[in-house]
Formats: sequence, structure tokens, C-alpha cells
Amino acid sequence: MRAQFRSRIRLILSLIVCAAVVILIRLYFIQIVHGEEYAQKADRQFSSGGSGLFDRGSIYLTRKDSTLISAATLATGFLVAINPQTLTDLEAAYAAIAAVAPSAISHDAFLAAAAKKSRVYIEVARHLSDEKGKELSGRAISGVQVLRERWRYYPGALLAAQSIGTVSYGSGDTLAGRTGLEASYDSQLSRSGDALYKNFFAELFSNVGNLLVSAKDAREGDIVTTIEPEVQTRLENDIAKVNARYSSRESGGIIMDPATGEILALVTYPTYDANNRQTVDPVLLGNPLVEHVHEFGSIMKPLTMTAGLDAGVITPETTYTDTGCITVNAAKICNWDLKARGVIPMKQIIVQSLNLGAAWIATELGQEKFRTYFTTLFGTKTGIDLPSEGRSLIGNLSKPQQIGYDTAAYGQGIAITPAQMIRALGALANGGVMVQPHLVSAIRLKSGIERTLDWNQKTPVFSASAARATAEMMTAVVDEKLENGKAKIPTMSVAAKTGTAQLTDGHGGYYSDHYFHSFVGFFPSYNPRFIILLYTNDPQNVMYASDTLGTTFLDLVHFLIDYYAVPPDRGFATGSSTSPQATTP
Amino acid sequence: MYNLAHRLPYSATAVCFGAIAILAVTYIGLIAVVMSYAALTVEFSQSVRNNGTAVAVLEQQYLATMAHITKTDYSAAGYAAPRAKVFVPAKSATALR
Repeated sequence: MRAQFRSRIRLILSLIVCAAVVILIRLYFIQIVHGEEYAQKADRQFSSGGSGLFDRGSIYLTRKDSTLISAATLATGFLVAINPQTLTDLEAAYAAIAAVAPSAISHDAFLAAAAKKSRVYIEVARHLSDEKGKELSGRAISGVQVLRERWRYYPGALLAAQSIGTVSYGSGDTLAGRTGLEASYDSQLSRSGDALYKNFFAELFSNVGNLLVSAKDAREGDIVTTIEPEVQTRLENDIAKVNARYSSRESGGIIMDPATGEILALVTYPTYDANNRQTVDPVLLGNPLVEHVHEFGSIMKPLTMTAGLDAGVITPETTYTDTGCITVNAAKICNWDLKARGVIPMKQIIVQSLNLGAAWIATELGQEKFRTYFTTLFGTKTGIDLPSEGRSLIGNLSKPQQIGYDTAAYGQGIAITPAQMIRALGALANGGVMVQPHLVSAIRLKSGIERTLDWNQKTPVFSASAARATAEMMTAVVDEKLENGKAKIPTMSVAAKTGTAQLTDGHGGYYSDHYFHSFVGFFPSYNPRFIILLYTNDPQNVMYASDTLGTTFLDLVHFLIDYYAVPPDRGFATGSSTSPQATTP
Repeated sequence: MYNLAHRLPYSATAVCFGAIAILAVTYIGLIAVVMSYAALTVEFSQSVRNNGTAVAVLEQQYLATMAHITKTDYSAAGYAAPRAKVFVPAKSATALR
């Protein structure tokens, strides 16, 4: 009896254990081995919104009052697919689809799709709104499936399109960031599938730890950029106008905080609509501001001047004899107007933009020192958080011919990216220290924590006194030279420099009638809040950068002063007098 | 065990079947709870997404309005550029803050 009882108990226990094992194995296969498959299957049904749908973090612009505005987010809606094998009434189905998505598919194309009887799934309309999707779904047409869909959406459309970047399929079947910030921060923006719902059983079986602390939660998030939407809009508008007015090949601009490297606006033209890329030339998807190199011309002179001052080979009071033209290594270099100035001080090299003056400083510096300064300024990538950053072409500074140094001193013969250029010129506005330009300030993690990124890499290049002396000379450009002195703002010091460079002809020489115009400026001159770099490539029927970009620069300065309420740094009232100090027509 | 079997009002087989039944019901109950939780989570998730889309539409309108204002050609709208700009000096920089 006892033995019989024991054997019964064992039998029952074995049955229980077997049942439990079978259930466990079944659960393992359903929830872990085929979990993703089932999740996808569920998500493809009408009301699901789980892990199978496209998911990705947002990219935010930051207004001046710290309000975040989406630059890239997700839109939700529906797609419509047909199953030709179960589609019965073609005309009724087409009429219903055309009623909610008139331009989605033509009648002929629909009939052609419906004729493919070997297929069970053909998408005929995408990006339907919630209302339209539900309306069509409510009709329950045989052979017509209405499925939940999510897609990348850029509320600003053209706004900062090249900086924000694109998401697309690569060689595989995964949507990922391909250009711009979408690519640079893909690991933070991409989502690995579990969304809000965690499968409790699967987590128990596979990774209990993740129920408490998830590595993904510490990595995935939304990114917060430093781009200010109104400043970006303004710069885009101004750059587009310049490009259209002078029929330039391309134009661009950057507005940056020289003390931190935060980029407030980054514009290149032509651009594209990020929500409608079907007809976009793939070349436009890149970002010329970090990928393309240019010979910038005379905006290089302030750097040459500061190098000379910093090295101690010149002082602001030093003079030199300007002969108008000189011959170096059998090559003739001249001032822009071919005229000689005689004995003149250093300041005039910047104010009158004298090529011979810059070349003279380069000679005074000597090749070794000149190379050291320019290699520090341009020899490395900026580390800006955009993909495919280009390298500068400064090979002339590795050769013994003095002509290479003389021309580099006024911005010809060496080619730099606009991002590198603004980083280098930013040193003049930041006490001689270069900062790292960047577009993203923080990552808002899924856990809710905001992780501020570290952009504190600083590169000292010049002494603060040398940078200030050059800033004084550049301020004189605005106060005395630009628009014949009418550009002067009595209550705000503004430092600027124009640059007009001849374009290379591709055969080792330069065109005599094709130019690259650039313009750099910062303000207030001695404690700058903004540095602005503008350029336009090959403008037609105009010779000098002061003509193409001067007005745009000054308009931007006035806009930024008003928009940010930048307090004046000069022209204060004396005593009780508050009468107007100056009037400019 | 022999004594225990005699003391219990139910046979061991009945107890085991009872336990199995309770386990089965518990398992089904757990599945029901998890499924309900999943359905609710998905619903909430979708609701969050829908709200996000609605916010994106508002942001799109804001950005479009801003672009429209920036692009407005005031001279074409009949406004003339000012003949003069007058800069009124302040007592100090900090006075304006």
C-alpha cells in the first residue's frame, strides 16, 4: 500500500513537472525565441502601437528662453495596403481609398497592383491622418488593410535641414540616421524595440537586471541642440536672398557663441525640404559647412596679424613700407587695388585689407612660427558633432617656398572648411582661445535625466592682448571703412573683416573674374556674444565681399542686438544727458 | 506518510489535482493580467504618440508663421525704410538689464 502510494505520488509529481517543463519550453519559444515575430505580427494589426513600429528619439531646437521646439519628431497615422488575393470589389475599394487619399495612387496603378494575384500585401497609400485612417478602416472593405504607421517628421521642413540630417534605409532593412545630427547621434536616437511595454515573462527569463537598471535607458534619449529657431530662420532667409541676388553657386553662414562654441545658426544654401526628399539631389544631403574647403581670402589677415602680435615680431605701432606689388619666388603678389601705400602702421593692413602687409608679417614671423600658428589653427578637425568633417588643405605650409606662406597670410593657397574658419576666428573673440564648435548641448535620457555634453576642449593659440589688439583693428573696419563709416553703431562696438578670394580654375591657376566672398564679424568687440561667418561662392557681376555680404552682416548684427537685447558697450550718456548721440542715414 | 494520508480528509491525488488546478488558474490569471497591462500600455503609448503628433503640428505652424514673418517684404507691403536711425545713449550697460 505504502509503495503503491509512493509510486502514485511520484507519477503525479512527474506529470506536474512534465507539464511545467512543457509550459516553460512553450513560453520560452513564444516569448523569447519568437517574441519579436509575434510582437511585429500584433503591431501590424489595427490598434497596436508597440515595438514593431518605427520609433526614434526627437531632436529639439532651443529658443532663447530655453523653450524646446521639435526639429525632428515622429508622426503617427495609417498606411493602406491591399491583398490582391482577397480583394473582391476593385472599384469600390479604389473609390474608398481615393476618398481619403486622393493623390496616393492613380486608378490605373491601383488596378495594376490589384492584378498581382501572387502577392498578398501591396502598400497603396501612406501617411494617412488618424481620422482618415479610422474612417477607411471603419468601412471594413475586404482585401483592404488599414495599418498603424509611424514616420519621421520634421516640423521645420527646410529649417536647418542639412544640420538636422536624414533617416533612411541603408544597405539593410533598418531605418537609421544617415546624415547630419541624425547620423552623429544615431545611437542615442535609435530605439531598440521594447518601447513602453516590457514583456514581464521575457524579462524574467532573459534579463532580470534590465527590469531594474537598463543600459539602454542610460544611452537612448532625445537630443537638445543649440540652434535657435528664430536666428536660424533669419540667417536662412538672408543667405537665400544673397544667393538669389548674386546667382551664387552656393552660400552659407554660421552664428556661434565664441566663448562656448555653441552654434546658434548653421545655414547652407541651396537646401532641401526634409519632409519631401524624393526629388532632392543627393549632393545636397551633405553639409558643405563642415565638408567643403575654400580659400577664404582676406578674413585670414586678422589671424596673421594676431600671430605676428603674439609672437612679438610686430606691435600695433609697427610700420612697414607698402610698395603695392612684390615678387616672391618669381611670383608677383599685389594689393587688391595694385596701389602702394608707402610707410603705414599695422592697423591699416586690416582696415585697408592689404595683401602686402599680411605677406610682410608672414615674412617677419618666419616659416617655422607661421607654420606652427596655422597648424594649430587649421591642422586638426574641429570635432564638431556633424559627420564627414573635412580636413583643411595647408600643404603649402610644408614647402620651403616663401610664396606659399605669403599667400596663406591673406587667405589664398590654403583651403579651410567654414567650421574650421569660425573656430579659428573665434579665438580672436575669445581671448586667443579656440573652442570646440558644436550643435548639441544635452541629451534628455529616457529615464528623464538630462545629460549635459562636455564641450570644454579649449585650445590656446594667442595671448589675450594680441587678440584684443586685432579686435581693435577689426572694430575700425566697421567704424571707419564699412559703408564709409555709416555702418558704425554708436552704442555697440562691432569688429569685422571682409574677404574676397579668387577661385581656382582647376589647372593650378586662378580665375580673374570668379570670386569667393567671405565676411566675419563679432560683437561687442571686446566681450563678444556672437561671431558671424558668412560666405557666398562665385557671385555674379560683383567683385567685393563688402558689396555682397556687408549689408547682410549689418542687418544680422542689428537683429541679434534687438532679439537678445544685447546691452550697449559704448556711447554711454555723460551726466544727465540722454540725447541721441548719432544718427545714421 | 501513511499516517498523514489517514489524517487528511482528501486523498493525495485529489490534493495534487487541486494544486494543479490552482496553478493553472493562477497561470491563466497572470496571462490575463499581463495581457490587460500590455493592452493598456500600448493604448497609453499610442495616446502619447498621438499627442506628440498634435504638438508637432502646432510646432510646424509656429515655425511656418515665424518663417512667414521673417520673409515678409515690408517695402512690398507699402512700408518705407526709416530715413534715419537714432541711437539713444544709455546711462550704463547694466541700466538696461
